[in-house]
Amino acid sequence: MLAILAIAQKDLRILFRLRSGIFFTFLWPLLVAILFGVMFSGPGEGTAKTRIAVVDEDNTDGSRDFIARLEKGGAFDIVRTGRENAALLVRQGKRSAAVVFLRGFGQASQRVFYGEPPKVELWMDPSRKAESAMLEGLLFKQAAEGMQKILSDPSASGDAVQKALKDLKAVPESSEMAGVGQFLGELSRFLETRRSVQGGTAQASWQPLAIESKPVTVEQTGPRNAFDITFPQGILWGIIGCVMTFGIGIVSERTQGTMVRLQISPITRRQLLAGKALACFSAIALVQAGLFLVGRIFFKVHPSSWWLLALAAVSAGVCFVGIMMLTAVLGKTEQAAAGAGWAIMMPLTMLGGGMIPLFLLPSWMATIGNISPMKWAILAFEGAIWRAFSLQEMLLPCGILVFVGIVCFSVGTRAFRSV
Amino acid sequence: MVPNSPGKGSIGKMLTLNNIYKRYGDITAAAGVSLALRRGEIFGLLGPNGAGKTTTVHLSVGLLQPDEGSVSIEGLGSPALPSVRARIGVAPQAVSLYEMLSGEENLAFFGRMYGLSGRQLPMRIDLALKFVGLTDRRRHAVRSYSGGMKRRLNLAAAILHDPELILLDEPTVGVDPQSRNSIFESILDLQKQGRTIVYTTHYMEEAERLCDRVGIMDHGKMLALDTVPGLLATHGGKPTLIVKTNGQEVRLETEDPLAELNRLAGLGPIEQFSVERANLEQVFLKLTGRTLRD
Repeated sequence: MLAILAIAQKDLRILFRLRSGIFFTFLWPLLVAILFGVMFSGPGEGTAKTRIAVVDEDNTDGSRDFIARLEKGGAFDIVRTGRENAALLVRQGKRSAAVVFLRGFGQASQRVFYGEPPKVELWMDPSRKAESAMLEGLLFKQAAEGMQKILSDPSASGDAVQKALKDLKAVPESSEMAGVGQFLGELSRFLETRRSVQGGTAQASWQPLAIESKPVTVEQTGPRNAFDITFPQGILWGIIGCVMTFGIGIVSERTQGTMVRLQISPITRRQLLAGKALACFSAIALVQAGLFLVGRIFFKVHPSSWWLLALAAVSAGVCFVGIMMLTAVLGKTEQAAAGAGWAIMMPLTMLGGGMIPLFLLPSWMATIGNISPMKWAILAFEGAIWRAFSLQEMLLPCGILVFVGIVCFSVGTRAFRSV
Repeated sequence: MVPNSPGKGSIGKMLTLNNIYKRYGDITAAAGVSLALRRGEIFGLLGPNGAGKTTTVHLSVGLLQPDEGSVSIEGLGSPALPSVRARIGVAPQAVSLYEMLSGEENLAFFGRMYGLSGRQLPMRIDLALKFVGLTDRRRHAVRSYSGGMKRRLNLAAAILHDPELILLDEPTVGVDPQSRNSIFESILDLQKQGRTIVYTTHYMEEAERLCDRVGIMDHGKMLALDTVPGLLATHGGKPTLIVKTNGQEVRLETEDPLAELNRLAGLGPIEQFSVERANLEQVFLKLTGRTLRD
């Protein structure tokens, strides 16, 4: 056992001293997982705030309150500035738009029932229609929230009604104005009644919509984010890196003569191969754990079941240790083994969803992909991460992986004797 | 069977190869090789490329199994058994070291392969490194070593576990005279410590300097096996007496050059004379031929 551990320890030590080994087993898979994850994600939930300039020419409580609410809403990154600078910022593309709060904005925003509405100017590149519409919508939303605030407060809405009635007196009489005056009079009396009733009731208060929130956990039916898909792919690339590094490492032992020294030493062939297998399995386990940890901490990749993830990891480890052993006998030189190894690995990886996610593969390719152990490895990882497989469902990919591993290891070790 | 002549080594046998055959398809790498190594001797195995030296070494350490015949380490059995291999040390022809590891790490690894552990392991590493003069470079990666240093570390890895039988397969290939001399001294030290050594080489002067007995192989066969003087006597032919008398040079092959010189001196004045004897290289070429090998 000590000899087996010593071989594994030595192989891992050499792996960690090989820059190319570290790159292809740890860094490259991480890059694949992150870059593809970012590409598949699009803007996603982390959408940047719209960067706008704000010119407050009104500078009243009303305008300041409106701007504060815009800021607090989280949709905008606001810079306060003057007209000229705001125009410059938009022209130079440093800000998407500028919103100018004209004089009288604050006073007008108190007129809910009658009179001119509060006015703003929106400066924006006319070609950016979609953004312009979105921005207008967000400004309307803030304005509506301001109105709601007035209407839901009996005192504030009473003041607004009195102000509207006062403004009406300055307007020449007409049947239309008389109707408005009658409505506002009735409303004033209603609000006065509400104010006299201490506390009031929920039914009497003005509220556009009553919303009661109840938490309901949504059933997960797909990947939570793109990294749920790309991290299994990245892990697969890391495993392939281990397979190639250790497979070629065995060939190097033969070409450099260290294998002769090992075979002359008083260890059995079984111990020698067990040491090699343990080293490769340990490296695969480290790659899996390392990549998953990065995915878990930084990219919100978390398994539906830790136990099933461990099952997938062990099964994939067994499978690819076997494949490593087969790679080691593909050629008598490092170049021959590497060439043959990659020639086999690349198409199997493509078919197995290592480059394009499994669910995006055309059906014919997905069918052919069944011959690829890479497909079953990714499926096992996805099953444990986002497909929410049951143990029964996991048995098929994991069973295939273990079977392939045992067959490849047996063939590889048999061929190893004759090389 | 080639008869074993007495050498400097003690009487007890160490390694016995009995009528060994090893074939690779049409090629016969060992064709009835027999050999009995004495405890404490340095045995030189000479032969041109492809003569079967390395195959014989690999058969001796259990790396290869003979198609016919048997190999045994005296009192222990076949080297195919791991417990028997533990008593053998081998410095393969190729420098068999891990370039990415330091000299010390290489020895620690190979030491563990031979079952060394605990306090014994660092102690044996210290001794081995000191023996080959690499203590100062113990922590440097092997890839930074010169060819000579690698050869010396290769030797250190072979003797690390204090084996009784040491097989050195062309241990001085590609090294400078200083490293070669250091390796020679190490080998002679090992002999003084009672180790039995099999030394394969292309270099005749190395065999003449180091070996108690020499076996010359070709085409998988042991053509001759004896001490160097014995080989010269058996295969070198008669010495040649060269005499210059009356302005003329005379060359005479004779068993007794001195008697012949006296006889010639009685016939007339001798102006100059010398005696030419065959060396090991001439014996080697005589036995193996002058045809170039691949």
